[in-house]
Amino acid sequence: MELLAANHSSYPRIGASASEQALRRTIAQRDRGEKTDTDVRAAEDELALLALQDQERAGADVVTDGLVRWGDPISHLTAKLEGTRIDGLHRYFDTNFYYRRPVVDRKVRRLRPLVVEDIQWAARRSTRPVKAVLTGPFTLAHLSLYEGEVTGLEPLTRSYAEALSAEVAALAAAGVRVIQIDEPALLRHMAQLPLAQECLNLLAASKANSELALALYFGDVSAGYARFQELPVDSLILDFTYSPGLPRLIEAEGSSKSLGFGLLDGRNTRLEDKSAVTRQLERMLARVSTRRNYLTTSCGIEYLPRDRAQAKLRHLTAIKESLLGARS
Amino acid sequence: MSRQRLHELGIDLPFLPTTSVGSLPKPANLVRARAEFARGKINRRDLEEAERQATEFWVRRQDELGVDVLVDGEMYRGDMVAYFAEHLSGFEPGGLVRSYGNRYYHKPIIVAQAKWTQPITVDWWRFAQGLTRKPVKGMLTGPYTLTDWSFNEFYATRRDACLALAAEVHKEAEALVSAGCKIIQIDEPAVSVRPEELPLSIEAMNIATRGLGAYFVTHICYGDFASIYPRMLDLAVDNFDLEMSNSGLDMLRLFSTSAFRKDLSCGVVDVHSHVVEDAALVERRLRKTLEVVPIGSVWVDPDCGLKTRTVEEAEAKLTRVVSAAQAVRGR
Repeated sequence: MELLAANHSSYPRIGASASEQALRRTIAQRDRGEKTDTDVRAAEDELALLALQDQERAGADVVTDGLVRWGDPISHLTAKLEGTRIDGLHRYFDTNFYYRRPVVDRKVRRLRPLVVEDIQWAARRSTRPVKAVLTGPFTLAHLSLYEGEVTGLEPLTRSYAEALSAEVAALAAAGVRVIQIDEPALLRHMAQLPLAQECLNLLAASKANSELALALYFGDVSAGYARFQELPVDSLILDFTYSPGLPRLIEAEGSSKSLGFGLLDGRNTRLEDKSAVTRQLERMLARVSTRRNYLTTSCGIEYLPRDRAQAKLRHLTAIKESLLGARS
Repeated sequence: MSRQRLHELGIDLPFLPTTSVGSLPKPANLVRARAEFARGKINRRDLEEAERQATEFWVRRQDELGVDVLVDGEMYRGDMVAYFAEHLSGFEPGGLVRSYGNRYYHKPIIVAQAKWTQPITVDWWRFAQGLTRKPVKGMLTGPYTLTDWSFNEFYATRRDACLALAAEVHKEAEALVSAGCKIIQIDEPAVSVRPEELPLSIEAMNIATRGLGAYFVTHICYGDFASIYPRMLDLAVDNFDLEMSNSGLDMLRLFSTSAFRKDLSCGVVDVHSHVVEDAALVERRLRKTLEVVPIGSVWVDPDCGLKTRTVEEAEAKLTRVVSAAQAVRGR
């Protein structure tokens, strides 16, 4: 069985050094009319490259572009869709991070690529597989306001799903190995799981040979675990920090899907006890029937300062190595 | 309204008292001084002098604009949590993390038992109060927010951290009261974040304010209020300072389901937009609020701290706040 150390999704956009603060500086200068959008794009490229290099240095087997171009997980995608406008700031789940809420007044349409060009750019510069991350239709809809021609949450969710399905197809056509759909809102609205499933069906139909992963975080996964196993995805990336009963559950019920073990807290700097995590992981892996699984953080690591995010990633790969060492 | 309570404290305010939430933009000379201090070009005394000048500028400016209850503007703070973490033992400075868009803050790390060792804000409050006859609010960050917006490497649980911090915040509030401060705002913007932890934040606020002779305000913003209302009214404060305009006055719907039974500092201007709202719009927001909350219970202010605006934008927005209150009082 293969266990890969994977960066979950986001990576800090800022650090302590001048070069790690270049994007912040350039955006501020652009906003004052001293720099252009092209300058911002160049600063984003530099930062994405730093993020890729950091992840590789830490030993991650699967990397991301760090989502460093994203203003936030909601408006970055929805602002590129026809039918939306971007409204005021709102708190992103239980974090101290804020997103700009989209307001949707008609069926949304994807007129241009959302992330595929950025993923291709990153893939050309990385020696490791670059995972694509998309916020899922269910979460986008729950964090949007609708009005005008949009008559409810369900049509809005389906409309987002159609737009994202085109993006999934583009990513698959570009040869992206893993496409991760982030649906943190699902854990708070489990009664609407059938709607989420319907949308995932649509995305799964577009994924071709890519691996479709569903990332669930910021809530307890345990109650829905058995039902998540039925979803049309290849892998489940799970947040263990809200789910104290999840290890026992996996040990008891196993998994027919590839799992992403989000055992390391992506929102706290404290480094977890290495041997305790290793033991826990070993017990769960024994019950997973898939060939490839992932060790990751509970959520994206943009919530950590850059030096601590690096330490967390190094810790992650050290735990993986320790587990593989124990097995060999 | 707790007018009686304010009266007993020797404070008589007009109807619809105007105030601001706490932070105000740092004037250019202070921004420059902070950058020079960071580069080692000036010493701490020079920086503090620039902070004093900026505080004086804002106290006098609020006075001139007609604001009724003033703030010191937090010229000496970078961030509402990091500032207290720097002055309580047990914290270590953390690196930058993003707040939104292109905004970042230093998120501290709890590495040992948190301890209040000496007054943190009292000298600044005393300085600001000495510049005006109007009341100046004491400004603290609440224990729940200090916990939620710090990394925790020391306490076994969030509850342990929060209750320990509540006892230390109480000491600072007590020091403000001893210095003569009558109105103390304890900011808890994180309270709405985890509804299941509301009982913890209520318990912590009880500890922070217990037995102190002051009128307490708490500021809460940008959260899912539906999940904590009306239970949040059990927080041991007299006044809730809420961001109302950013959410299109959504909260009024909640207040009509269950009466808002405390004083309300009503945010009537958006602090995250460069646009200075039309005076009529601001007045309309206030009037809509007064359809649901009794006039005797309402204060008027911006949605949140104005520190992310320019000095000119902040002045213009405060002017709108004052003129809306005056327009409604006048009719």
